[in-house]
Amino acid sequence: MAEWNAYYQNEDEDEEQEEGEQSGGDYKVTGRDSLVFLVDASKEMFIKGEDGEPSNFDMTMQVVRSVYTSKIISSHRDLVALVFYGTEQSKNPRNSFKYVYVYHDLDEPGAKRVQEVDALRGEKGARLAAETMGSGETSLGDALWCCANLYSDIKLRLSHKRLMIFTCRDEPHRGDSAKDRQARTKASDLKETGVIIDLMHLMKPGGFDVAPFFRDIVSQPEDESELGLHLEPCDKLEDLQKRVRAKEQKKRAMARLNLCLGEGINVAVGIYATAVTARKPAAIRLYRETNEPVRSKTRTFHMQTGSLLLPSEIKKAQTYGKKQIVMERDEVDSIKKFQDPGLYLIGFKPMEKLKTHHHIRPAVFLYPEEGEVKGSACLFSALLMKCSERNVFALCRCVSRRNYPPRFVALVPQREEVDEGKVQFTPPGFNVIYLPYADDLRTLDPPQCPSASQIQVDKMKEIVSKLRFKYRSEAFENPVIQQHYRNLEALALDMMAPEDTEDLIMPKVDQINHRLGPLAEEFKDLVYPAGYNPESKSVAKRKTAIVGGVAEKKPKAEVPEDELRAHVQNGTLGKLTVPVLKEACKQFGVRTTGTKKQELIDALTTRLAA
Amino acid sequence: ETRNKSKIMKALVLCMDVGFSMSNSAPGEEPPFELAKKVIQKFVQRQVFAENKDELALVLFGTDSTKNPLDRDGQYQNITVHRHLMIPDFELLEEIENQVHPESQQADWMDALVVCMDLLQTETKGKKFDRLNVALLTDLSTQANQDHLDVIIENLKQAGITLQFFLPFPAEDDEEGGGDSDRRGPGHPGTGKGLSREQKESLDLVKHVMLSLDEEDGLDQVYTFRFERDAIEQLCMFKRIERRPMAWPCQLTIGSCLSIRIVGYKAVTEERLKKMWVTVDAQSNQKEDVKRETVYCLDDDNETEVKKDDTIQGFRYGSDIVPFSKVDQDQMKYKHDGKCFAVLGFTKQNLVRRHQFMGSQVVKMFAPKDDEHAGVALSALIRALDELQMVAIVRYAYDRRSNPQVGAAFPCVKQDYECLMYVQLPFMEDLRQFTFPSLENNKKLSPSDTQLSAVDSLIDSMMLVQKDDDDADQKDIFKVHHIPNPAFQRHFQCLHHRAVNPGTPLPPMEPWLKAALERPDVISERCQAPLEEIKRKFPLIEVEKKKKLKTSAQIFGKDAEEPDAKKAKGDEEEDYNLADIAEGSVTSVGSVDPARDFRTLIKLKSLPFGEVCQQLTHRIEQLLSNKNTHYYMKSITCIQAFREQSVKVNKHSLSSFWEKLMMTWEFLF
Repeated sequence: MAEWNAYYQNEDEDEEQEEGEQSGGDYKVTGRDSLVFLVDASKEMFIKGEDGEPSNFDMTMQVVRSVYTSKIISSHRDLVALVFYGTEQSKNPRNSFKYVYVYHDLDEPGAKRVQEVDALRGEKGARLAAETMGSGETSLGDALWCCANLYSDIKLRLSHKRLMIFTCRDEPHRGDSAKDRQARTKASDLKETGVIIDLMHLMKPGGFDVAPFFRDIVSQPEDESELGLHLEPCDKLEDLQKRVRAKEQKKRAMARLNLCLGEGINVAVGIYATAVTARKPAAIRLYRETNEPVRSKTRTFHMQTGSLLLPSEIKKAQTYGKKQIVMERDEVDSIKKFQDPGLYLIGFKPMEKLKTHHHIRPAVFLYPEEGEVKGSACLFSALLMKCSERNVFALCRCVSRRNYPPRFVALVPQREEVDEGKVQFTPPGFNVIYLPYADDLRTLDPPQCPSASQIQVDKMKEIVSKLRFKYRSEAFENPVIQQHYRNLEALALDMMAPEDTEDLIMPKVDQINHRLGPLAEEFKDLVYPAGYNPESKSVAKRKTAIVGGVAEKKPKAEVPEDELRAHVQNGTLGKLTVPVLKEACKQFGVRTTGTKKQELIDALTTRLAA
Repeated sequence: ETRNKSKIMKALVLCMDVGFSMSNSAPGEEPPFELAKKVIQKFVQRQVFAENKDELALVLFGTDSTKNPLDRDGQYQNITVHRHLMIPDFELLEEIENQVHPESQQADWMDALVVCMDLLQTETKGKKFDRLNVALLTDLSTQANQDHLDVIIENLKQAGITLQFFLPFPAEDDEEGGGDSDRRGPGHPGTGKGLSREQKESLDLVKHVMLSLDEEDGLDQVYTFRFERDAIEQLCMFKRIERRPMAWPCQLTIGSCLSIRIVGYKAVTEERLKKMWVTVDAQSNQKEDVKRETVYCLDDDNETEVKKDDTIQGFRYGSDIVPFSKVDQDQMKYKHDGKCFAVLGFTKQNLVRRHQFMGSQVVKMFAPKDDEHAGVALSALIRALDELQMVAIVRYAYDRRSNPQVGAAFPCVKQDYECLMYVQLPFMEDLRQFTFPSLENNKKLSPSDTQLSAVDSLIDSMMLVQKDDDDADQKDIFKVHHIPNPAFQRHFQCLHHRAVNPGTPLPPMEPWLKAALERPDVISERCQAPLEEIKRKFPLIEVEKKKKLKTSAQIFGKDAEEPDAKKAKGDEEEDYNLADIAEGSVTSVGSVDPARDFRTLIKLKSLPFGEVCQQLTHRIEQLLSNKNTHYYMKSITCIQAFREQSVKVNKHSLSSFWEKLMMTWEFLF
């Protein structure tokens, strides 16, 4: 039975997964990823920075929390643990280690855990930590040993094991060489079992010296080239977050292919997805009585006989007009096959031949696989350097998987970039840009329009300059996904209402208006004749019909926040009209079922008075 | 997007010259007739599979017989209406395959055009077509009757009939784009050369007609098919009349005081085949005979089935599973105001990295056709961004039901139009910040100067863009966006074959389709030597994959025994199983379980015996240097393992290690 399910399951996936859709790159995953946060809980960690800067402990907890929540969203099956060392109290599976406090053992992070980490944040968090764990002696060896036990107690197969030490003390045992040695031995035991140990060292007065102790504790970089130890300690939350982020995700190749330059010249490369559209996860079905998940089984059977159909007993068909065209299942696959998977070099083109609008799907990233073909990295590196130097890209034919039809791709060189702290922010390799075929370009019929005069253009330039900002791709959260998880969080934790999410991709209208000042009117005077209203035609017309004349006069009935708050305080909300109140409800995310004025006022009052 | 998609109906007459001159060709080249037939076949094939309501007629001229409504008094001779205006079907495909042959007459192409016009006018009566089109495929070798030229042009204009010409030679001397003649390599006749007087005169006439119909772009509708590879590209030429994108009217807003009316059109997106495969019963070929059913069951030993109605919806929140009904979900989900194109701010173009483009489309934003004020306002924005090398970062929402996006609007200033191009950008949740080992700062990997210069010459030899000396223009000899998707071509070929010849195996891929995907011949020749050089300078050695030891454990499970391996090993006592050995693929004596590693390595004989012993000794020394009972115990197991193995091996060779070990041991106690 199991085999049948598997068989049809695959078929479903095939049909659903469109050619272009490439999954997040879970290439032959054979186990779970795991991550242990080993956090120093000594007194030094709780010292607050100048000007009310958060303590190192506080900063660490914020990072841990953000890793927990991002794991929940992006890879909930990963296992995470949080262990403190240098505590007064001890709490670990067999209570065989002193001064080690296992706050969370290795498990999938859930809502409760997020809450528990939250509890350790800030002033309150420091107090809670002092009450429950306290600060005591330090034995990093014991702590590491305890972590080793956490790993060995796990019955699941672990594929990637990482341990991050957060501390601001470079000599945790204050020169006790026996303890130092024991820690080193334990660290090497851990490394022996495949655990990668990283140091997230934090700022302390006098600087953090990695050399005397921690150099022997942490894992050597994968190969000598890797930047390895960050010699500068972190003093900013942002930096720490970046460093943790960079290490926390295991990179997996979506595919390993050959990049063929010509007969017998094959460079082994891995393809990595560096940006994958995050979606709301699919719902799962639960049994109503017990809330336990149910499994679904799909069966294909014969309508008349009722017997299950073997794969050989079904075919595939398409009908055109009255003609039915039937093929075997493997024929359907074979039609799509042109070549075996791989990249084949066609030639090179100057970068300006890569058009901005030739975009059909997110790019992927290419990096050599020295482990498959020795010498790949060298040739790859030479290609990368030369392409970058000469400002050209390589045009390749690409078959990314078996039975995938070919597409053409541009391999765009990307040199490595590191920041002042020697943290890599752009990895070296080729970005793979998928290029459109003729069918993918649509012929448009652009309208003939007069161009703007230089005066009009210059006025717009002033507007543009007023609203300049530095774009960073990681600056915008997806409000849909965030809201979804806030809702789940609220339900999981029995909260009264979900935490507010800020919609970061909402224009800050007030700010923009303020910055523009008179410029908007000046521009409009230059381009629009008197009486011209860009909002009166098309879309607005339809709206009018629904709202009933109100929209026509004033499409956005928005009242500034302060004004609303003043109304709430003075109890004068009633002065506003219903559409204005509705707009205000929307503005503050107040959900109202009613449309009566009083209901709107009540809802707004409760929200704004809170 | 499928809602209110405006269906536009088109009527097209394919008018093909089958006269005797069409069969002429230089040795080794395919005659224009064959190429023209291929173009028509491929086109009709596409039309059949596109299943739209477009109608199509086929008119042949140069036929031995005459069959057309205008055949009177010896006029309009040797012109045959082969197929009247109707929806193309497999019969038409079969007819083209089997009934369209080269014939031995010649006919006036202008007469043929008139027959086509007449056909369009009479046969579209009572039906509503949005576009009327005639496509003429001819070598123009007959002299055309110019008597009624003006009347014909006037009639074309009045009836709104558009024209396309497909010629076996380029229409213009300084032909650029379109044909991409360089790609076929040198040695092919240029324009004008080798054309007969009739052809030259006719070509002038064609130009005159086309320019009278469309002063600016008329000549863009004159295409060239000279070689087999062109045929595939011709299909995109037909595309021009294939579909009209849907308009998305909206307002671009900057704050609440400034808005500009815009209309968006999807300009680039991955086109997919519309039709899905359905599962049918292999015996009856009926889909009704196959039923698929999904059942739900509990995850218990009996796999107890539960009714769908007894299940509710839930979501995973990390390790928690949260019941969350559809109703609640809809209530609580993120809601927004719908359609929107709102500027969040402006930023430098170079901060928006090309490889961070998300989504699967590019939308072009224009001003509405009837609103020149919007046009001017939008133009000011486009030009301002263009001059400042900046982009607008915007919030984009297609409609109320779709999720809002963040994206960039790039300025695009072309000779004949201006627009904004919108591309989606990533959300924080989409990004994976991977770090990769440095390549350049690695001495072991960094290429030498001679290696680098080998790559340099490879790039030189493989440039797909050639600079003409006398021309500042660069000629691109491999334009991907001119190649129709080969997957569609192959798909249609196979469907076509199976429809017409059921029961026979699928045909092989057509050679020209394969060829269109290959490196251009010019490049292949040029890069031979540099590639050889690369081969010499860069040794590439495929790493022998040790057949992964893990497999036995994976297949047989952890505790399974491996009888074969055991047999091979004889009747030695095995106190550990193969899965154990396999587990970690032991390559050296580690510190976690040195004794086990030691035994495994001795067994596997993957390292010299002496070396394994040395490794063990080293571990024992390490263990003993920690003054801790746990480690002492570990070292004792090591010594036990050492003794137990030494019994099996030649004792002599072991003595030195044994001595050394005992010395360490004694020293410690």
